[in-house]
Amino acid sequence: MTGITRREFLRASGVGMVVGGLAGGCAGAARGDMAPKTGRRVVVIGGGWGGATAAKYVRLADPSIEVILLEPNRTFVSCPFSNLVLSGVRTIDSLTFDYRGLRRHGVSVRHEAATAIEPETRRVRVGEGYLQYDRLIVSPGVEFQWEQVEGLAENQDKVLHAWKAGPQTVQLAAQLGSMPDGGVFVLTIPPAAYRCPPGPYERTCQVAWYLKNNKPKSKLIVLDANQNIISKAGLFRAAWRDYPNIDYRASNKVVKVDPSGREVATDFGDKVKYDVVNLIPPQRAGTIAVQADLVGADKRWCEVNHLTYESVKHRDIHVIGDSTIGLPVPKSGNIANAMGKICAVAVVHLLDGKQPPALPPGNTCYSWVNDREAIAVVNAYKIDGGKVVQIEQKLTPGQSVAVAQNAVGWATSIWNDILG
Amino acid sequence: MRIALTLVFILAVAGAAGAGPLDAPGATKALNCAACHGPSGQSPSDAMPILAGLWPEYFKKAIQDYAAGRRPSPEMEPYAKQVLELGVDDVAAYFASQQRASTKVKVDAAAVERGRAAAQQCAVCHGSEGKGDRAKLIPDITGQPPGYLRTQMLLFKEDRRSPGDERLKALKALMKTIPDETFADLAAYFSSVR
Ligand SMILES: Cc1cc2nc3c(=O)[nH]c(=O)nc-3n(C[C@H](O)[C@H](O)[C@H](O)COP(=O)(O)OP(=O)(O)OC[C@H]3O[C@@H](n4cnc5c(N)ncnc54)[C@H](O)[C@@H]3O)c2cc1C
Ligand code: HEC
Ligand code: HEC
Repeated sequence: MTGITRREFLRASGVGMVVGGLAGGCAGAARGDMAPKTGRRVVVIGGGWGGATAAKYVRLADPSIEVILLEPNRTFVSCPFSNLVLSGVRTIDSLTFDYRGLRRHGVSVRHEAATAIEPETRRVRVGEGYLQYDRLIVSPGVEFQWEQVEGLAENQDKVLHAWKAGPQTVQLAAQLGSMPDGGVFVLTIPPAAYRCPPGPYERTCQVAWYLKNNKPKSKLIVLDANQNIISKAGLFRAAWRDYPNIDYRASNKVVKVDPSGREVATDFGDKVKYDVVNLIPPQRAGTIAVQADLVGADKRWCEVNHLTYESVKHRDIHVIGDSTIGLPVPKSGNIANAMGKICAVAVVHLLDGKQPPALPPGNTCYSWVNDREAIAVVNAYKIDGGKVVQIEQKLTPGQSVAVAQNAVGWATSIWNDILG
Repeated sequence: MRIALTLVFILAVAGAAGAGPLDAPGATKALNCAACHGPSGQSPSDAMPILAGLWPEYFKKAIQDYAAGRRPSPEMEPYAKQVLELGVDDVAAYFASQQRASTKVKVDAAAVERGRAAAQQCAVCHGSEGKGDRAKLIPDITGQPPGYLRTQMLLFKEDRRSPGDERLKALKALMKTIPDETFADLAAYFSSVR
């Protein structure tokens, strides 16, 4: 495994000095205008794949623009590759980075959450205080629809999703590790659209690989709300030939969980017993986007202009990443990163009163099928009639070590592109 | 006072030059490439090639080969088509104008020495130092990540990179005579040449 440690990553990306940047962490204290605006300012909500990229690239495009990034978490934990933590192939530390690189670019990183958006006055509320913006970029990722599964909301501490990399990833790995040989691991997949279409199937591979090597009498039951594997189906089916321990059941939507009886139930009333459950809940745009009325009639996702990512509902507010809908792109980190860059360029043009260039995103999703081999799907897009249109989708011919090496290359580059 | 004025002057000049890294023509059309090839094409990984400093003629041939499926790569075929849509000349000019810094991927010193000895057979085309020959579209292979160089040699050997390309016959014939283990040594050597 070509692991890179956090220190190596930071060294490779030339990060060393901490210069400038507001020292965040004064949450709750500030009232009124928390940082009076002196020049042009972009505020970014969310320091994940989309938001951190956008914050950095606004500064790269025009260092005279002040950029304030709001992100409650002090570290960035990569969801991509986090399925490898479940199988023990990677450590969570190897996926954890800090925000010093962004500060080096002059981004003011404040570790606080935005609590409301006021489009009319162009303010972002942070508790009792507020920040004024000229343009706002919103990248809050996904929120879980807890209420869609009976018994889930009140058992969030026991029934893990591990769908936002971090403490839950480590806890789920520990649950898997302490499951007795012969135990049943149940993984449930929500109906599309959800974050990372191939993610649950990659997770299936990683859990099955771990069980095959460590608990050979155990079984993995996958309850998929969708009618079939929704990404790279042929490649995953081929990979699963190595895992007779997988029991994959399509069109099995889980609607109830009972942790005391260690049981989930599907919409057809079928009951499935588990020793460990990993329930990936249905999803919608991050809460702040819903509260700010950036979502459409479905109350789930945000529709945007395909060239600028400006919300179709509110002026001067741009939405990127998993929270968006209406583009023919997957909810992936690679897409969030591409949107972050394109949106940053558009925002700088708009602040200058110029026409933004028409730039299409691109996507690659690598998935690990065991400890050393991966598969990939690649999508390229163009802009046609003001809309994002796919040019081509290409799959790797099969699983290989070479693709896994490219996956490591991709991760190294893109983490650096976001945070370095 | 004078110091302050000098500083203002320096800042003004830097500003006037429009030094923003995204100002170069082609820079915004290359934004997606950074996800794999690193900022300004300065790949930090072992597997992905450095694009900074590639000669435009060579760059364009590579893009055209990928887009046409002659140089099979699941990653590059779609992206090459995107580059053709956006305008390959701008993107080629952008990467050509980026200063190439050699890879930071470490190599084994003993492998470098073995590679140096084996590299003589490459000199007729790539030059005594591996710096290539722009007029003949023979790339500068120095400073590229070793993993990438090794993979490409294997692909030549198996005739999987641009199969049937008449220009590459001699190169592929040579690669067939070289044992796979030696590719790692050659890669270590060329990636270490500054
Ligand atoms: C297991 C797994 C594997 C994956 N593998 C891949 C992969 O291999 N390749 C790939 O491309 N993608 C992958 N993904 C998908 C990828 O992680 C997401 O698509 C990506 O993180 C989306 O970026 P984002 O900016 O929309 O959201 P995020 O990266 O989640 O960032 C959102 C940020 O906003 C912050 N936030 C939320 N609300 C507020 C608020 N009110 N104020 C301030 N901050 C706020 C959050 O703390 C968070 O840091 C995977 C996902 C999972 C779960
Ligand atoms: C998902 C990862 C990925 C992305 C994104 C990507 N590339 Fe590549 N690129 C690769 C890989 C892998 C190779 C090596 C392929 C091979 O074996 O020939 C490569 C090779 C190349 C080469 C050949 C280099 C040489 O020395 O021969 C060029 C040129 C290139 N890419 C240009 C681009 C451009 C321009 C973009 C952006 C539009 C881009 N790439 C985006 C993965 C990527
Ligand atoms: C007969 C001339 C010739 C000889 C001899 C030769 N090469 Fe090359 N090499 C080329 C040409 C031409 C290309 C460009 C291929 C293309 O256009 O796609 C190339 C490309 C390469 C590449 C790919 C670079 C990239 O950026 O993708 C590598 C690696 C390489 N050569 C290594 C070697 C090594 C090592 C040797 C000696 C063992 C060698 N070559 C000998 C002509 C030669």
